[in-house]
Amino acid sequence: MKAGKILRCIAMAAAIAAVPFAVRSKELRGMRGQEQSGKTPSGNAQKGKLVFENLGCNKCHGSEGEGVSGTGQSGGVPRIASTPLALPTFIQLVRKPKGVMPPFGSDRASDSDLADVYALLQTLKPPAKQESSTAANPGTGERLFVKDGCYECHGYLGQGSMSTGGTRLGPPQIPLSAFVSYVREPTGQMPPYTVKAISNEDLTEIYNFLKSVPPPPSLKTIPILNQ
Amino acid sequence: MAKQKNNGIPRRDFLRNAAAGAAALAATSAVPAKQPAPERGSSPPPAMSPEAEIGTPSGAEVLTADRTGSDFMVDVIKTLGIEYICSNPGSSFRGLHESVINYGGNKNPEFITCLHEESAVGMAHGYAKIEGKPLLVFAHGTVGLQHASMAVYNAYCDYVPVIVIGGNIIDATKRMPPVEWTHSVQDAAAMLRDYTKWDDLPISLPQFAESAVRAYKIAMTPPMMPVVLIADGELQENPIPTDAKLSIPSLALATPPQGDSAAVAEAARLLVAAENPVLIVDRAARNAAGMALLLELAEALQAPVVDMGGRMNFPTRHPLNQTWRAREEISNADVILGLELADFWGAVHSYRDQMERTSRPLTKPGAKLISISSTGLFFKSNYQNFQRYPEVNLDMAADAQATLPSLIEAVKKQLPAGRESALQDRGARLATAHQQTLQNARESATYAWDASPISTARMCAELWAQIKDEDWSLVSTIQFVSRWPMKLWNFDKYYQFIGGSGGYGIGYGAPSAVGAALANKKHGRISVNIQCDGDLMYAPGVLWTAAHHRIPLLTIMHNNRAYHQEVMQVQIMADRHSRGIDRVKIGTAIDDPGIDYAKLAQGLGLYAEGPISDPKDLGPAIHRALDVVKRGEPALVDVHTQPR
Repeated sequence: MKAGKILRCIAMAAAIAAVPFAVRSKELRGMRGQEQSGKTPSGNAQKGKLVFENLGCNKCHGSEGEGVSGTGQSGGVPRIASTPLALPTFIQLVRKPKGVMPPFGSDRASDSDLADVYALLQTLKPPAKQESSTAANPGTGERLFVKDGCYECHGYLGQGSMSTGGTRLGPPQIPLSAFVSYVREPTGQMPPYTVKAISNEDLTEIYNFLKSVPPPPSLKTIPILNQ
Repeated sequence: MAKQKNNGIPRRDFLRNAAAGAAALAATSAVPAKQPAPERGSSPPPAMSPEAEIGTPSGAEVLTADRTGSDFMVDVIKTLGIEYICSNPGSSFRGLHESVINYGGNKNPEFITCLHEESAVGMAHGYAKIEGKPLLVFAHGTVGLQHASMAVYNAYCDYVPVIVIGGNIIDATKRMPPVEWTHSVQDAAAMLRDYTKWDDLPISLPQFAESAVRAYKIAMTPPMMPVVLIADGELQENPIPTDAKLSIPSLALATPPQGDSAAVAEAARLLVAAENPVLIVDRAARNAAGMALLLELAEALQAPVVDMGGRMNFPTRHPLNQTWRAREEISNADVILGLELADFWGAVHSYRDQMERTSRPLTKPGAKLISISSTGLFFKSNYQNFQRYPEVNLDMAADAQATLPSLIEAVKKQLPAGRESALQDRGARLATAHQQTLQNARESATYAWDASPISTARMCAELWAQIKDEDWSLVSTIQFVSRWPMKLWNFDKYYQFIGGSGGYGIGYGAPSAVGAALANKKHGRISVNIQCDGDLMYAPGVLWTAAHHRIPLLTIMHNNRAYHQEVMQVQIMADRHSRGIDRVKIGTAIDDPGIDYAKLAQGLGLYAEGPISDPKDLGPAIHRALDVVKRGEPALVDVHTQPR
């Protein structure tokens, strides 16, 4: 293939790849236009869903804002669906969060954007049953965890590794939907696993395996780690 | 002619005698005409004649010599204080080899038998990082130098002095067919020239003396690098010419280059005025004095230190060591001082390896970057180890350690009165963060604590528990074990860590560990090597060298049974193409059969045990092996580990 043809192909591929983002941005701009024509910026749940995903809120809190309860030494991720907080408090918390959540300044999300997210959250209901149920067979998940190569970067028990950059996964600190979402479209160095590579069912098994990993022993009980 | 001994004869007298002997030889050799060489295989070997058994008949060719060029070469080498020669034997330096072990008494330098030239150079690499000076490598013409080349490249990238002497036979009429032709080359050093600092081909003994002293000096002047001398076979083996005026130049090492005084003052001004200065160090300390200077600078500024780990730069338990909070400190910095950074750009940028490779600066806008590095004084074009161009605001092409005294003085002079409180506050904040980081690391190590295969955290913690009360030296890289030693162990002495390979050429680990252990031997230190399995199998024979020369070294096998870096690379491609990762172990796994490293080591003469899969068994196994090492022998414990 000649260089010119290669460059044309790359340009076409880039254009195709850019389409969904362009649509999203256009969609958002259109919605903002509608909002500016109104007098009171009350939250728009439909727009809020786009903001929610663009900001990556779903990556930690789950696509339904369901969160995950804390286990072991982890504090988990708060459920934000149907948040009982008042809008100003919600915005304040997003601007200056506590714990590990990164702050979202007004350069990344306006008050209006957050009002839209807030509106979305009011429409979401937490799932009747935690998705992170360990009812499935953890043995299957463990096998898949190895077979699909997750252990390469994250260790056999999902303990993570600094050498590989693989974060600690076990037990998961995010809800299943966020887990699946991240595996499909990771934001860091992790390679993306498409549905062709791992099905949603297999990811659920892996998630359940990670949930089943027993908590580590207390640091106080390991003298050689305190030397 | 009976061999004369030189014991007790002053060198000046010896040289006079040598010249006289050579003159006698020259006179004798001038008599016989050149004899036609018998045709090989044309007739059965002649029976030994009475004349041959009694002595050389008058007029026959001269078959012996008392003093040859290689003896003088050894004299030169001895003046340089070279302790060891690491080498795999080769006929192109047979003259030198024999002179070292007989004429030189095989002491200072001592010939260390290596089973591969790559191992020999790797040993020199590790030795230099402990001892702070080069040892010598002899390498056979062409093939030996080719074997050595990757290890030379590692040393070049790691700015380590190594002196390679390669054999060759330049005069084509003096090459015995067929092998010596295939092992001869017009320009022997050419194959290494792209990644060595200097090379020479001396054609006389006086030139050899000058070139050897010059080679040592060049290798030891920052930026330090490998150098190559080619020792012609004829020059080695011929008698010393009667008219040779031999002398050996004295060696005075060049002082390392210091930063320009105005630039130093400006750097001090920026650092003192900064609200959040950060020191990033890589190959900054060349010895214990360098560590002390870094400590003094950091404490004067109460500045966080991020150690990239090219050398042992900064104590791991010092409150200002913020290596594991690097991103946070770098992104918050208004002034960053980089000292001998291999990759300044990489230190202040993140890079993402997806379909479209992207990067972003970690620094905030307006942050000032200062570099002090001797690497800016020497560049070559072909190999790209110089990394991406860093946009620094102040660049001093100077040796960092040599510049630190004046920088510290300038900083102390410029620190305004009344800043003590602010500095103390900064120091206190960093001390708290440091303590929290240590606590976090220990918490992280508890995950998979009882797992089998054994976690790298558990392996490193068990090893630390056994050596912490010894005078220890970690002589291996830590990048493949999640850097757990730097997170969990208390490093506070220069010789406790030697950094990495420089060029990331696999096969460096085992030989450099043995070389560093060789240097540690006379100091009575316990050398510890966390050894990757894939790395060892490039040239495992270096373990035999450790056993043969009684080099005490505790090797803990990080036996994860694959080239996991490459597993991940293939996995990235498979994921990118959505083809599943079922086959990524093809070409990357080291199993079926799994290698029994204990048996391998035992076969090479080491005490060894394993494989250890149950973490509860690991501590006692390390303890037993350590007892062997304390007796002055190498030992190995094979550990079945998790990938990283």
